[in-house]
Amino acid sequence: MNISQHRQDIITVRDIVKTYPGGLLALDHVSLTVRQKEVVVVIGPSGSGKSTLLRCLNGLEDIDSGEIIIDGIPLDATPRNRLAIRTEVGMVFQSFNLFPHMTALQNINLAQEQVRGKSRQEANEATMALLARVGLTDKAQAYPAQLSGGQQQRVAIARALAMHPKVMLFDEATSALDPETIGEVLEVMKGLARDGMTMVVVTHEMGFAREAGDRVIFMENGRILEDASSADFFSNPRQERTRAFLGQILCGPIPGLNGTHLNMKEQT
Amino acid sequence: MNSRATSPTFVRFLVAHYRDFLLYGLLLGAVAWFIASGEQGTGYHWKWYRMPRYLIQFTEDGWVLGPLLQGLIVTFKISGLSLILAMIFGLTTAIFRLSDSFTARLVAKGYVEFIRNTPLLTQIFFIYYVIGPVFGLDAFGSAVLALSLFEGAYASEIFRAGIVSIHKGQWEAAYSLGLSRQDTYRRVIIPQALRRILPPLAGVGVTLIKDSSLASTIAIYELTQRGNIVSSDTFMVFEVWFTVAAIYLAITFPLSLLVAEMGKRMRTAD
Repeated sequence: MNISQHRQDIITVRDIVKTYPGGLLALDHVSLTVRQKEVVVVIGPSGSGKSTLLRCLNGLEDIDSGEIIIDGIPLDATPRNRLAIRTEVGMVFQSFNLFPHMTALQNINLAQEQVRGKSRQEANEATMALLARVGLTDKAQAYPAQLSGGQQQRVAIARALAMHPKVMLFDEATSALDPETIGEVLEVMKGLARDGMTMVVVTHEMGFAREAGDRVIFMENGRILEDASSADFFSNPRQERTRAFLGQILCGPIPGLNGTHLNMKEQT
Repeated sequence: MNSRATSPTFVRFLVAHYRDFLLYGLLLGAVAWFIASGEQGTGYHWKWYRMPRYLIQFTEDGWVLGPLLQGLIVTFKISGLSLILAMIFGLTTAIFRLSDSFTARLVAKGYVEFIRNTPLLTQIFFIYYVIGPVFGLDAFGSAVLALSLFEGAYASEIFRAGIVSIHKGQWEAAYSLGLSRQDTYRRVIIPQALRRILPPLAGVGVTLIKDSSLASTIAIYELTQRGNIVSSDTFMVFEVWFTVAAIYLAITFPLSLLVAEMGKRMRTAD
């Protein structure tokens, strides 16, 4: 955690608790700080609360107690405050959630025009630059249904970037993709990390966590069990539970954990 | 070659369904007998030749619409205006019912339940005799308001179903981009919902054309009222009501077919 001590905190989460209707405790006193340009990877078994944590960060879920501060603005429940936070926090979803009745261009234009008040021409220019960045210049006029999963997800990333967010959240962005298109989305995400985007990434892609992540957080049962630099996390996990999880997800014993097996999912 | 290939299939079709054909023939016979006996029993004389002038007439001013087609135009006006208003009432009510505000939900629910549980005819009289004088609504305005409130209540259920059918992820994606609830409805949710509910919404249009006949009860000269007048003037009861029914059918049946076709396309498109 000493790698970026001098940088400003972008996300501060203090002691948040989230209970779903029905009584399921999704987040159990979670605290977390994310610094500028930091890439934090959140892993853990399903139901561990990692997606819920992400969804709380841009107000898609309400918290019961605790505090979330994004770039100095405390997230409270007023609609106006939420909109302010959301324009600073981009989110990419597992199921892409592109608007099916709009072309790629229109998908990316929408919030620029509607929220940022850009003219059509300004938005078009920004959009074409973003499409070039994700390698889809030729798909501007395509509808989501005409694109592959990987292409849709890249459009979704461009759509979130169009707001010039201070933070990007990725909620299992590659989990719904065919194996052959996972790589292209991960490449875009790695590019963002290289460009200095602050990112919180929920993923099962250990290769990405090791390669692009500054920090890895392991969650289980709504709690953060381990929070370490990505090198430490993979070479020397402190918690027994983390070792067991890594063992399961990498399909091999911990001793083999020297980095070479970590790319399994990408190699296939 | 083609006909040689199809004719045996046709014969096979006839043989396979001979009972159905017999029944069909019997049915047609029964209808003819019923009409004929009605004619004899009442000593009715058909005067179809006198009907066309009530539809359209050639005078020194050129072609002039007869009372029935003039009535049809009024029917179109009432139905068209009511359809537009019903869509507005329906959409607003649906959004109210899905809102976070308890008051909005209560108002919407109260409106829908009140309308759906009272007869349309009562509503028309209520608006014409009670609300109309207060707000200075004439008969036409009262009819349009009553019909649009009535159909709007049903349309709101259609809108609501359409809005609810849009995946939660669409809301979340729009919200995560910083769109307001209003913008999300306008740009993301309603355009998608409309595509899905177009067939049942068009069905509301068909119902409106039929229900607009009730406006005849408050002295509006639409198709049914015109039919009433012509038939009592001329005593050509059979001809007039056959004609009026045929006119309604000629409008609503193609519309219904269109609705059914649209429904089929929507299902395959999804």
